[in-house]
Amino acid sequence: MSIATAAAPGNVTGSVTGKAEAIRVENLHKSFGPHEVLKGVSISAKEGDVVTLIGGSGSGKSTLLRCVNFLETPSSGRILIGGEEVRCRGDGTPSDRRQIERIRQSLGMVFQQFNLWTHKTVLENLIEVPVHVLKKPKDEAVATARKLLDRVGLAAKENAYPAFLSGGQQQRAAIARALCMEPRAMLFDEPTSALDPELVGEVLAVIRSLADEGRTMLLVTHEMKFAREVSDHIVYLYNGLIEEEGPPDQLFGAPQSARLKQFLKSVS
Amino acid sequence: MKALLQPHRIVMLLIAAGLVMWICLAGRWDWLWEPKYQTLILQGVWRTIWLLALSVLIGFALAVPLGLAQASGPWYLAVPARVFCTVIRGTPLLLQVWLLYYGLGSLFPGIPWIRESDLWPILRQAWPYALLALSLSYAGYEGEVMRGAFASVPRGQIEAARAMGMPRHKILTRISFPQALQSVLPTLGGETVLQLKATPLVATITVLEIYAASSRVRQDLLITYEPLFFVAAVYLALAGVIVLGFAWLESRRPRRTA
Amino acid sequence: MESTLGLLALSPPGWGGTLLVALWASIRIAVGAFGIGLVIGLAGAYGKIYGGPILRDCLGVYTTMVRALPELILILLLYFGLTDLMNRALLVMGYERIQISGVVAGIIVLGVVQGAYATEILRGAILAVPAGQIEAAKAMGMPARKVASRITLPTMLGLALPGLSNLWLIATKDTALMAIVGFNELTLATRQAASTTKAFFTFFIAAGLIYLVITLISTWGFARLERWARRGDPPRQAGGR
Ligand SMILES: Nc1ncnc2c1ncn2[C@@H]1O[C@H](COP(=O)(O)OP(=O)(O)OP(=O)(O)O)[C@@H](O)[C@H]1O
Ligand SMILES: [Mg+2]
Repeated sequence: MSIATAAAPGNVTGSVTGKAEAIRVENLHKSFGPHEVLKGVSISAKEGDVVTLIGGSGSGKSTLLRCVNFLETPSSGRILIGGEEVRCRGDGTPSDRRQIERIRQSLGMVFQQFNLWTHKTVLENLIEVPVHVLKKPKDEAVATARKLLDRVGLAAKENAYPAFLSGGQQQRAAIARALCMEPRAMLFDEPTSALDPELVGEVLAVIRSLADEGRTMLLVTHEMKFAREVSDHIVYLYNGLIEEEGPPDQLFGAPQSARLKQFLKSVS
Repeated sequence: MKALLQPHRIVMLLIAAGLVMWICLAGRWDWLWEPKYQTLILQGVWRTIWLLALSVLIGFALAVPLGLAQASGPWYLAVPARVFCTVIRGTPLLLQVWLLYYGLGSLFPGIPWIRESDLWPILRQAWPYALLALSLSYAGYEGEVMRGAFASVPRGQIEAARAMGMPRHKILTRISFPQALQSVLPTLGGETVLQLKATPLVATITVLEIYAASSRVRQDLLITYEPLFFVAAVYLALAGVIVLGFAWLESRRPRRTA
Repeated sequence: MESTLGLLALSPPGWGGTLLVALWASIRIAVGAFGIGLVIGLAGAYGKIYGGPILRDCLGVYTTMVRALPELILILLLYFGLTDLMNRALLVMGYERIQISGVVAGIIVLGVVQGAYATEILRGAILAVPAGQIEAAKAMGMPARKVASRITLPTMLGLALPGLSNLWLIATKDTALMAIVGFNELTLATRQAASTTKAFFTFFIAAGLIYLVITLISTWGFARLERWARRGDPPRQAGGR
């Protein structure tokens, strides 16, 4: 049923019809050696959609997200970013390095472990790719970066090295770093899982403000309450397959599958 | 075994075997069968081995107090130990060898009681200076290693011994030293290979070890490569024995997991 | 002792000038060899990590052999071998034989030796860079070469510097081995001065002090460099047991 929804544009429940598709994944398979982690997953996110992936540990959420960004090479299936399909060789590896780089520049990825570059200050982290890869003028990049740091509440920390920030501050800086690329869509992989409970709120607030301004997002999270509030569409992954999907109220309010019911019970 | 037999490895092994064959066939090796050079070589190998073994033993015996003094000694022991290690590690071994041999060698004959002592026949030879220089060098490098080892014995281990009323020297011999030794054992093998590689320097002060023996062959017969290849093989074999020996020593100790 | 200190004067009959010239030769060899070693080491480290099985095995043979054989023998083998090969090539191409200058030979030969150690040091440091640092760069669309030069290398520098510092000290001390092949660097010049004047202690100790000063200055310099390279490291936890 997931393939059916994805294959019929405009039918994805919970999203406004008539918008272009930002991310589209079709029948994605991914194996690590003999271990098949994704067994045919299709999802679609239109411009401005917030699509949230939930599921138990090891269900393949991170792998799916990393495939979208080609940090993992899919075993089979199609991935389209903004309607553009990534060309692959016979063995599934991308054939055009440049294309991959360009696509990655249009997707802002936020990691569970922040992954700010430790040898650069917060500001240097933000302007690294704009200045040194995209060749933007430095003062322009710095101005953009300062604006974004201000937005995530880190204006005072631009000259600090990441290790001297709290986890919540680091994650907010990492979000700002991703935003610096003016991405078409944001990918969040459990952005709050590595944080102490009291720091989760400040990061979720930033993500919520991004959702409110209509950014396209693919989000993996274990914060169910938050997912229900910000998402347009929820996908429940179980063991490498989509077990159930739908608008948040339907999925959380009236779950159909026994596994999802069980899962929701276990996390609440 | 399987990994060794990948196709490209087999090709590489064949090439290596071919090279060795070529060196054996095209080179001049008749001297290996001459009794004169055979004894020279055997004596040379033997000298290299005992110079190495003795200098490692003496050097390590010195390194333990040097490391201990730096790690937990009072300043009047720590500072000289530190200076000694810095000087040894900061100057070329060749210079140390020459300083001891030429320096002491020029000093001793002028001192009557040394010249009249029973040790004089020994002190007139070159090997005592070689052994001294090699031992001090090993002591200097290993003193630094032992400092780290003693410093990294967890405090709790020593406090536990103290809490049970162990006297200080018992704590040292029963707790600190065994633990420090265990932690340096993996590095010690590599350090001993380094020491092996340092031994040919004593050829410059007329000690006839294996490298000097090969130089003799080179000069006598005016051939360049064959004796060099030969000593290279000898050193590779000795290094292999050292590595295997230390691996065996290490395997006998209980493994720390995680 | 006092009478022999005059022998260290810069102009003849003092030997100070000779020693300084020789010191300059030593330093040039050390710097050149260390530089070549770094270049070889960087290429070797990347080859060992990302290269194909054949390249990896060849590099393995190179680093193992160099680290198992005495430097002295490597120097002789490489010195004779390289000059021989080069001259044969030159003769085949119809040129005259040439004599490689001592400094150049020393730099190349010691550089090849240093390269083997540098390969291992840099390989370890590159592998120790947390995967997330590189993934974050890839995820932002950085080309592979940019990732290497702007993320991997600066991050691994702090990890590699202690080893590199040690390697540089080995380079300065290994220049003394060139004395054995008759090249007039500091240690050989010292021995000549000493045996001419019979003031063994004066000259050997003076040379020792020079080496020591080089060591101490370099150690200090590398420590500063390391502190800079590790500027982003987390602050030390205070009061650890
Ligand atoms: N690089 C890899 N090599 C081998 N197996 C991997 C690799 N990455 C992930 N896996 C496996 O794939 C499966 C799915 O992993 P994934 O990280 O996508 O799970 P997840 O849904 O994100 O779980 P979590 O909630 O714990 O983050 C797991 O069984 C994991 O062991
Ligand atoms: Mg995950």
